[in-house]
Amino acid sequence: MNPAAPAALPARAVPAWRRRLTFTRLGRWYVALTIGIGLAAINTGNNLLFLVLGLLLSSIVVSGLLSETSLRGVRVTRRLPASASVGAPALVGLVARNGKARSPSVGLELREKGGDVAGHGLVLLLGAGQTEEVSYRFTAERRGLHRFEQLEVATRAPFGLFEKSRPLPLPAELVVFPRRVAAPAQQPRQLAREGERATGRAGHGLEVHALRDHRSGEDARSIHWRSSARAGKLIGIDREQERRRQVCVVLDQRRASGPLLEAAVEQAAALFERELDAGADVSLAVCGDRLAPGSGERHRLAGLTLLALLEGAADAPAPVPDSGASVLEVIP
Amino acid sequence: MIARALRGTTLMTAQRWAGSLALGAAFAACAVSGELGSALLFLFPAALVAAPLLQRRIAGRYQWAWTGLLGLAMIVQGAQVVAGRLDIVLAATQFAVLLAVHRLWHRSSRRDEWFLLLLSLLLICAGAALSAELLFGLCFLLYSVAATWALALTWLRFEIEAARSPEQAAALLQGRRLVTPAVLFALAALALVGLLGSAAIFVAFPRVTLGGLRRASSAIPIAGLGDQIDLSRHGVIADDPRVVLRVRLDPPPAPAAELPMRWRARALEVWTGRGWRARPEGWGGGTWLPPLPRLRLAAARRHAAPLVADIEAVSGFSDGVVLTPEGWPTGITFQRPLAARASATRLLRAANGDLFYTPVDVGDLHYVVRTERALPEPDELRGRGTRYPPEVAASLEVPADVDPRVRSLSQRLTEGKDPVDAAAAVERWLIQSLAYTRELPGEQKDPIAHFLFESRRGHCELFSSAMVVLLRVASIPARNVTGYYGGVRSSAGYWAVRAGDAHSWVEVYLPGAGFVPFDPTPPSGRGGVDRGVWSAVVLAWDGLAQRWRALVVDYDLVSQQRTLQQIGRTLGEAGRRLTAARPGAPEFRAAAARAGAGALSIALLVVLLRRARRRARPKVARLDPDQRRAQALWRRARDRLERGGVSLTAAVSPREAIRRTVQRRPDAAPAVEQLAFAVLAARWGGERLPAARARALLRELRRDLH
Repeated sequence: MNPAAPAALPARAVPAWRRRLTFTRLGRWYVALTIGIGLAAINTGNNLLFLVLGLLLSSIVVSGLLSETSLRGVRVTRRLPASASVGAPALVGLVARNGKARSPSVGLELREKGGDVAGHGLVLLLGAGQTEEVSYRFTAERRGLHRFEQLEVATRAPFGLFEKSRPLPLPAELVVFPRRVAAPAQQPRQLAREGERATGRAGHGLEVHALRDHRSGEDARSIHWRSSARAGKLIGIDREQERRRQVCVVLDQRRASGPLLEAAVEQAAALFERELDAGADVSLAVCGDRLAPGSGERHRLAGLTLLALLEGAADAPAPVPDSGASVLEVIP
Repeated sequence: MIARALRGTTLMTAQRWAGSLALGAAFAACAVSGELGSALLFLFPAALVAAPLLQRRIAGRYQWAWTGLLGLAMIVQGAQVVAGRLDIVLAATQFAVLLAVHRLWHRSSRRDEWFLLLLSLLLICAGAALSAELLFGLCFLLYSVAATWALALTWLRFEIEAARSPEQAAALLQGRRLVTPAVLFALAALALVGLLGSAAIFVAFPRVTLGGLRRASSAIPIAGLGDQIDLSRHGVIADDPRVVLRVRLDPPPAPAAELPMRWRARALEVWTGRGWRARPEGWGGGTWLPPLPRLRLAAARRHAAPLVADIEAVSGFSDGVVLTPEGWPTGITFQRPLAARASATRLLRAANGDLFYTPVDVGDLHYVVRTERALPEPDELRGRGTRYPPEVAASLEVPADVDPRVRSLSQRLTEGKDPVDAAAAVERWLIQSLAYTRELPGEQKDPIAHFLFESRRGHCELFSSAMVVLLRVASIPARNVTGYYGGVRSSAGYWAVRAGDAHSWVEVYLPGAGFVPFDPTPPSGRGGVDRGVWSAVVLAWDGLAQRWRALVVDYDLVSQQRTLQQIGRTLGEAGRRLTAARPGAPEFRAAAARAGAGALSIALLVVLLRRARRRARPKVARLDPDQRRAQALWRRARDRLERGGVSLTAAVSPREAIRRTVQRRPDAAPAVEQLAFAVLAARWGGERLPAARARALLRELRRDLH
């Protein structure tokens, strides 16, 4: 789940009777013909036409009962993608569960209603007590917050004459990250030493910080065997604490707007991800906001979320880069 | 093929076949009326069968030719309708069949499939307007099942095509997973539910008829039920078990398998040299029934024996003739059903007293005849003289070249006798002296003389013809009468008179009593003799057809009122019997209790069988009460969490649920954690989970989620 997206709000209780009934195109023809045959039967008194009329009317009743059975007891939840970027298709999962003890649900269409995202999926047959997930592809055209409001469960079963639907308020939000572009061939302005460097404190690096007596229970791999042989007792090693390369991506968006701002944000995101992939601790500095240095997946999502929600800020203070970090500045 | 069908077929194939079947049933419903025409009767089935085989080569091609053909058909039929030569309903039906043929050949898109189903609905309606036969009912039954399949499968097919990618859709449509025999049976059951609903609506829908635009009656000119007899035919008289009349009599006759009664059709009075024909004078008798002759009236006053016959004359047999039971008809009422093609039926009487009706519709005719059967005593008929009125002159005409042996025989049998005794003597002599055979004599110069003096055996027409000639030679007016003799009891409660019961007898004019029937054919030769399986099948079919007509086709406002009253009475009576202390109430209560106990036993048996089947299934694990409680608690907690905005499915473990709750609803996380660990401990750790504890955990979760 997208951790940057705000948690889905609890669904409001929907009355069980709340349904929407619409005619399909075929259904409109069907009803018109039924009315026509009814009038013909009444006009002529032909009992066989009454028989045909009875069949048509009872099919409408049967259709209504079956569609109601299909909709009843169905619960739907939405499964949002872990991340979504502008221009890249993402899968939104719709999980339907048939809570009925006996009867199956047939031909369920699950679709988004309201909100910023449109999509739907079809569950052909959902047995009693079964759960099935369908998904739809969603390709965002802008970065930032996308809201989901309702999920509508609809069915046209069993004849496709009418569509009966039931709205399920299921609000959620998804932050769409900036479009993925190739990072510009831009190098940090103040190059720090390549690779990791020592901090002068004990830690978990590779370099030896100090030797000391081995403590029982310690990992055998921390024993310095040569010194132990020389001293006649077990000597343990303290390793040097190492600090990783620090890079700060700086974006001053005060004079940018529209496509210019979008391009700058996409470049900043690309640089941010490139440096993270290269193993650096990366921080972000934008006008009015900043992200402390860090690494790992959570940090990546936090940085991309910050960039996704970034807006033009003409009056905001200038970005403040991290001291001691190499700076990668994106100039819109 | 059956094995393949049982394995299931592809959705695509099943959908196309179901559509074709629905269309075929609808076409058959129209075709049973016999009005479509032979060209369409050949064209449509050919298209239905050949289209799936040749469709890939033909679909989409020669559209201009099809369009031209349909346009031409529309113009020709339109012109015929305007000119009044073609009924508009029939024209529309024929055009719909042509459209269906066109679409069957060019069936490729979603629109084509829906259009074919629409056409099938229009055709079944057209069938309802064209035909009221039982065969329509069977076609309707087939249509309701096939159309349910077609509608459901067509919807499913296009739903899949719309919702899935072309590759996914093709895989589903061509797979055999979706349309299994179980699915088809379920849909057929759905169709039967629809039919039950249809029956309920049919019974309850108010029968208020506006009577506005109606299909014109397709009357045909009166031809008459065989207006001549040829005695020189070859071969053997075949028995025909088809039902001609369905009769209900009041008072009902004595219980017997067969009805000894004559059904009069026509009198044939003019000798042709080879047989008889009707008088050519036409409809000189008016539209009323003649009053009872004096002697008959007196006899009726002495011992009234009126007979009321409710008669349904089956279409295609009566041919414009009103058939009446033996006796003197005193009243005829035509029933006018509330049907689309009902039109006022009028009675016509020919100069010789034969009765006809007009217009002659293609449907059955329903009428009630009141007949006075009382005849004067023989003593009353004797001594009435030989002065006959002019209208019986035709019944006195003696064939020009009567064989002298016939004259001699006539003289021997009638000389010195009163006409009534002479007629009885001739009748008796013929019955006793000659034999009955179904073999026809073939070409004879004088068929009567050949029958009387050479072969001495013949069928009913020869017997009646011989008697007529023998009496006319003796100057006694007599005429040959055709009709039917007999009737067999049907399971539907009516007497069925069949085509094989065709018979011929004699009417002799006796002053003061009018024409009186005499039957010189030996009793064993009267009526049909076929008692085979085919005859029984035909009779059973006719019983069904009659029930169909009575319960469905002729169901009107009066029937509706009676039905609803009957239902009300039955329910009311049942209620009274169950509650009141009336005679017979204890027995009824006992019967109701037995029926209830029976139903309960069956329900119990079903439940036990289902339970046994469930137990017979391989079990994954048997859970103890705490484990079951844990499972139930977790299910309810999951539902609560889902409603609280934490997305969970059945596959999500309790630990994962805790993680998600921390993310989504941190306020509820402690309660979820507590509940999840209790569930895990009880489900897998052997810990106890009392019901009270489970309830408390759930309560806590509910409170935190709010």
